[in-house]
This record gives sequence, C-alpha cells and structure tokens, in this order.
Amino acid sequence: MAASVNFKTYVDQTCRAAEEFVNIYYETMDKRRRVLARLYLDKATLIWNGNAVSGQEALKEFFEMLPSSEFQVNMLDCQPVHEQATQSQTTVLVVTCGKVKFDGNKQRYFTQNFLLTAQATPTSTVWKIASDCFRFQDWAS
Amino acid sequence: MRSVSGSEPSGGIVAYFPPLGQLARLSFPSPAQQRRAEPPPMAEEGKGGYSEHDDRVGSAGGGGGFAGRRRKGRGPFRGKMYSEGNHRSWSRGVAGPSPSGQLEESDGDVLMSDAHDSLRTRYAPYGSRLNRRGDDWHSRGRGGATNIHVTVKRDLTPQDRSDSASRSSSSRRRWYKVTIPYGKKYDKSWLLSSLQNLSSVPFTPVEFHYDQSRAYFYIEDMATANALKQLSRKITDRDNYKVVLIVNHSSPPQSVQKELKPEEIEQLKLTMSKRYDGSQQALDLKSLRTDPDLVAQNIDVVLNRRNCMQAVLQIIEENIPELLSLNLTSNKLYQLDDLAELAQKATNLKILNLTRNELKSECELDKVKGLKLEELWLDGNPLCNNFRDQSSYVSSIRLRFPKLLRLDGHELPPPIVFDVETPTTLPPCKGSYFGSDDLKVLVLRFLQQYYSVYDSGDRQGLLDAYHDGACCSLSIPFLSQNPSRSILSEYFKGSRNVKRLKDPTLRFKLLKHTRLNVVAFLNELPKTQHDVNSFVVDVCAQTNTLLCFAVHGVFKEVDGKSRDMVRGFTRMFIAVPAGITGLCIVNDQLFVRKANTEEIRKAFVMPAPTPSSSPVPTLSAEQQEMLQAFAMQSGMNVEWSQKCLQDNDWDYSQAAQVFTQLKVSQCLHLTHPRGLGSLRILHQRGGGEKPGACSFPRQQPQCLEIEGGMGPGATLDASTPLYPNKNLLSRGCLPPRAWLLHSLLQGTL
Repeated sequence: MAASVNFKTYVDQTCRAAEEFVNIYYETMDKRRRVLARLYLDKATLIWNGNAVSGQEALKEFFEMLPSSEFQVNMLDCQPVHEQATQSQTTVLVVTCGKVKFDGNKQRYFTQNFLLTAQATPTSTVWKIASDCFRFQDWAS
Repeated sequence: MRSVSGSEPSGGIVAYFPPLGQLARLSFPSPAQQRRAEPPPMAEEGKGGYSEHDDRVGSAGGGGGFAGRRRKGRGPFRGKMYSEGNHRSWSRGVAGPSPSGQLEESDGDVLMSDAHDSLRTRYAPYGSRLNRRGDDWHSRGRGGATNIHVTVKRDLTPQDRSDSASRSSSSRRRWYKVTIPYGKKYDKSWLLSSLQNLSSVPFTPVEFHYDQSRAYFYIEDMATANALKQLSRKITDRDNYKVVLIVNHSSPPQSVQKELKPEEIEQLKLTMSKRYDGSQQALDLKSLRTDPDLVAQNIDVVLNRRNCMQAVLQIIEENIPELLSLNLTSNKLYQLDDLAELAQKATNLKILNLTRNELKSECELDKVKGLKLEELWLDGNPLCNNFRDQSSYVSSIRLRFPKLLRLDGHELPPPIVFDVETPTTLPPCKGSYFGSDDLKVLVLRFLQQYYSVYDSGDRQGLLDAYHDGACCSLSIPFLSQNPSRSILSEYFKGSRNVKRLKDPTLRFKLLKHTRLNVVAFLNELPKTQHDVNSFVVDVCAQTNTLLCFAVHGVFKEVDGKSRDMVRGFTRMFIAVPAGITGLCIVNDQLFVRKANTEEIRKAFVMPAPTPSSSPVPTLSAEQQEMLQAFAMQSGMNVEWSQKCLQDNDWDYSQAAQVFTQLKVSQCLHLTHPRGLGSLRILHQRGGGEKPGACSFPRQQPQCLEIEGGMGPGATLDASTPLYPNKNLLSRGCLPPRAWLLHSLLQGTL
C-alpha cells in the first residue's frame, strides 16, 4: 500500500512538472526562442520531422532558423519513466499535441514528446530536456 | 479632368451615387471649379446622366445654344430614359450579353423586380436599398430626389463600403453593367484607357462589346461602379462630345458566371505544366490567353477574369506549391484582387513578373503584400508613370516588399535589414529516424511482433512485452463537442489529458500501472488492424538502459460500431533491454486521433495493380499476417513481399533466406526514403508514360535509389505505379519490375 501511495505522489509530481514544463516550453518557443536551447541538456537530441539535431549548439542554430511560431497545445499527457530505464534519474515522459502556425506556413497539427530529467545540483534541481521528438500529423503531405 | 466639374450640383448626386468623400465636393463645388466648369446650362444635366444622347442632340460645339435642347432632354424625355435604361440593363444583365440582341425588344419590368427580389434575398441590407430605389424610380419617377439623396448617403456609410470591400473575394460581389451610348464610335482601347486614367479606382472591364451604336462592358463591385458613374461626361472625344456612361446593376456576365469546365481546367493544367520549368521552379504564364494550345482548344483563359485566375491559383496550389517564380507578363491585369490568395498558395514565391499589364496604381500591390518577393517586374504598367523619379518609385515599391532585391531587372540598394528577420522556410519533413541500422532492425522486429499480437484479437499475449512496473496511458485530442458524439468516443473514457483533467485521483486512475493493469486496459480497447506500411518510427533516445521511440501511423478498427474506421495514432514506447535482442516495455503512451483525409486515402492501400501483375488472390488471415511481417522485415512493399512469399510457397523462412542472401551478396540494396515499410515504385521522373498525364517535375523528388548491379543509382519518382520502362531498360539503368522481381527471386541480378 505504501508503495502505491508513493507512486501516486510520484505521478502527481510528474503531472505538475509536465504542466509547468509545457507552459514554459511553448512560451519560450514562441516568444523567447533564443533561450530555448537552454532548456535542453548539453547532449540532448531533437528529432524534428525525421531530422536529427544533437547538442546545444546545433539546437540553438536549428531553433534560430525555424520560423517564428504560435503554438497551441490541446493535449498533454505524462508518465514517470521507469527507474530501470533511467538508472534512477528522475525522468518524465511528456506527450503533447496541438496546433502550430509557423510564420509563412499554414497552421498544422503536431504531436511532440519529451523526456525530461531532473538535474540535481547541490543547491537546486533543474529540469532539462533529454530528448524531444516533434512531428506534424500531416508530415507526409 | 479628375476634379468634379461644377456643372453637377445635387442632381448629380442622385444620379451617380458618388462615394461619400466626393459628396461634399459635388455638393459644394469650389468657385474655381465652377469657373472651370463647362457651359453653365449644363448645370442641369447631371440628371441627364441617364439620358443617353443629349450631347448629340444638339450640334457640335458647346455653348448656350445647348440649353434649350438639354432642358427638353431633361423633361418628359428623361423619364423615359430612366426606365428604359434600367429595363435594358436588368434584362440584358439577366440574359447575359448577346451582341445581336435588340435592346428595344426587352421587356424589363418583370425582370427588374425579379432581379431586385433575388438581390434582396442574397444580402438584405443591400436589397432593401435597391428596393427603395426601385420604388422611387417606378412610383415617383424623378420626384423623389430628396429621398434618394438621403438614401444614398445612408448607403454609403464607411461600414457599407468596407463591407463591399471585404466581400470582394466572395462570389457575392455585385456586378454592374456600363453602357456607353454611341460608344460604337470609339476605339475600345482609347475608351478604356481614358476611363482607366480618370477612374479613382482601377477596374477590370469584362466582356467589352459593341451592340448597335452602344458599347458595353461589365464591372464588379460598388466602389468601382461609383467611380465610373463619376466619369460620365468627363471624357471629351475628338468631336468635342462628352462621353456618357450609364452604370446599372446587373447579374454577373456570362463569362464570369461560368466556371471553367473540368476538361478546360485539365487542358489549362497541361498548358501550365508545359510552361513550368521544374529546375527553376518557374511558371511562365506570359500572354496566357494566346497560348497556341489553349487557342487550338478554343479555351479562353483570360487572367483578368476571376474564374480564370482562380483556376490558375488552384492548379498552382495543388501541383506546384513550391513555386519560386511566376511570370504574368502581358495578361491585361487591371487589378490584383484575384491574385491576393497567391501568398497563401505559393508561400515560397520570390519572383513575380507583372510586366506590360494595366496596373494603374501602386496600391494594387498592397493586395499581394503578403508575398515575400525578392524580385519584381512592373515595367510597362501605367503605375510606373506615377512617380516623379526612380527613387520615389523604388521606395514606394519597397514599402510593400521590404525584402525586394531587384526591381524591373535593376539591382536595388541592399534592403535595410536589422537582424530580426525571421525565416519562413521549414526544414523538409523526412521519414523514419532510426539512428542506426541495428536499432532499425531491433525496433522493426519488435513492432512487427508487438502489433501481430496487438491486432490478433486477444492482447493477453502482450503480457510478455511489458515490464512488471510498466505504465501505460491513452489520450485523444481535446474534444470540443459532446464526447459521446465524437468518433473517438470509445477512447474518451480512458483518455488522460492532463491539460483538461485536473483531479489528481482521476489522473492517477487513468495512468495504468503494472503489467497486468496495462494489458487488461489494452485488451479493453477496440479491436484493431494496423497498417504497417503507414508506420513511421522516430528513435528519440537511446542509452545502455533505455530505448525510447515513437511510432506514427494509422490503424482501423475491425469490430464494433466504428468498424473500418481509420484512425491516426502516435505511440511512445520506452523499453529496457531484455534478453539478447529483446525489448521490454516500461512506458507506453498511446495517442489516438482522427486520421486526416490523406491518411485515409493511403491507408491499407495495396499497391495499384500494374499491367504485369496477375490478379491478386485473396489471402488467408495467416498469409496476411505473414505478408505484413515479411513486408516489415524486408522493407519491401506488400506487393513485392507477397510475390516473394508466393514464389516460395508461403515458406516464410525460405523467402526470407532468398531475400537476405540477395541483400548480403550486395546485388540489390534497396533503400526507401521513409526507411520503413513500403518500397513504392514508381515511374521514372517526368512521368511521360501515361499519355496525356501531366506532371510537375520536382527539383527534389522523393526518390528511391536502387544501387548495385543496375547501373548508376537509378532514381525513381515516388508514389506512382511502376511500369516496365523500355528506355531505362535499354540504357541498362533499371529493369522493369517483373524482371527485377524475377531476378531478385532467382538470385540472378
């Protein structure tokens, strides 16, 4: 029973982290793109419609060349990632879907998922994106 | 000439319905204007705008001598002209122009009221005005001047005018017919250019024609009509006559009413594809109307007609949205209203050539301001003469297109750019991302196994796929309508959308935790069949202890009320290694959504039968399953996989062996841009095999490369069925499919 209560607390925390993250992420994406890469781990990977981008510098470059955006998130789901997969590093799977309008492009539906990890430093804990996978729902057309 | 002459006091207001802004000038002409005015007796002739020929009743030359005649014209005679003019216009308008028709024969009364009725039902505020005016004309004749005046003012509120502007792109735009009595005397181009020069708004005359002594044309929208009404008697011809214009409502002219027929559009498409240069992504529509092909087919494509321009834009949107350069030279474009949508249809357009058109004002360019042009040609348009010098010309154009680099072929000084410029081009979308071939094999094998159980009808077998402490959740997009009516209703109760769902207990409940709960939950979901050919996989993260990948694709339901309903999904798996090559799922997040039309169209589509293929026998469930598995593992499409299996008597391992041997021996290495699933073949670039087929060659076709043993990487176009191609065969590049397949199976390649 105790384990289950703990798990429930864990799930609750996961949800709060995911909600907070999504607010910050898309706000930063739309309005403060230049600092977006800071949300990623140094060795984070982004798979953007099949294009792989790795590392802070490459991410920074990628986000710079991406047209300005207006994201609208309609769905958010999240799960705590099993500790066996993460070597006990607190990790959250975040899944979103919604609409995005990139400047000069028509509005499209997207799905996106993230792995977030809590990076503990002696003084505080900072959440960072370890992986990010983005796809238009109609990517093939 | 443009200033309103003092010879038209209030009477002119009644007759001409000037825009509000000009009302004041009209009503209170300045002394200067009055001095410049034509002979004083003409003061009354404003009302005579409807009188067709009073200028000609008298002898040539102005002067007081006209007064008598004019007054006479204003009298009983004028009443007749009012009704006559209207009857004609309506009846002609409804019937469409018929050059040989006898104006006097038309009986306008019935038609006129009909037209009013129909207009009223279309747009109420407008209709009531028409009705009122109609009443005035019919019952009160010219006695209703004051009333009309008031009406006119009310009608021309800014709101009304902006309404008419906003309707400008809709089919509800109004049409007006312009009649020029004695217009026969005038050369069309002289007449139209004189009018264009004077008109406060540019206009596109439609169906200009002569009929008996008169000249006619149609114009669209109220603002234009008002502007043209102002021009009556503003042009003086060589004989010193003033050209009278009569502007009346009309139904749309025939050429505009009629949409292009499908076969005409097909021909237009063909013509456009001929005029499209794929290497430059440039479409040349110079003098399109005189295109020999179109002329030979008797198809009249006049780009200053909305229906034609719309057809062209439609074709661009559907076939060459990547368009970079568009040449519209010499198409008699008077305005760019119909081009306004170009910015949405061809978002990459950088070069626009409008040389030798009839654009009168640089304001026309505002309508296409959304284009991110780098090069623009405006040479040979009247608007070029509106500027006192080149620099004001350039800066006026630059105002509309700040990124312009070249104007009329001249390099412009570099645009003033602060580094805030934002890109608008998205990176190209690609297919699956696996990261490495090993991962590809691993993930594909896993998916094949997983979905063969998942789709088997009993998902208990998935217990082995999940970790004891696995988590699973399902979500669907937020439904704005009543969930029970949504086509995703079966998924609604299990949907965990944390964005909407704030209750922690419910959030917890909907996250299925531990293996048994997960599989029990999955077992409750509707029975499915997944289309492995639709799968696109992104391997998002990989460590020694974790593999995280997303699968995108479609499935259909095979049971229940949504049977055969195709749905789109994205599924996230996080797995830990298990055994030597296996994976064990620790996290599973399934997102189900409506499939889009494109996905539905492509879903479960076996490759189209080709001339060489034998009729497809129906497969048993077992064969179907084997086929899907084989297709997935081999990376070949279903048809090829089936052939391969058939040739090996449905012995899976033998077929696999044949295929693997070939792969290993490097005879045949097949890669597909989507990486997974279908090897879709495809006919050669340019697609000239289907007679009459038109294609827009792309610069970067989604191509399939076949390497090794077949000559220099033969490249095929995606998405079209393969036909044996003699050309390629004779050049040794590519064997026809049957041969290729045969060789593949015989190992003789």
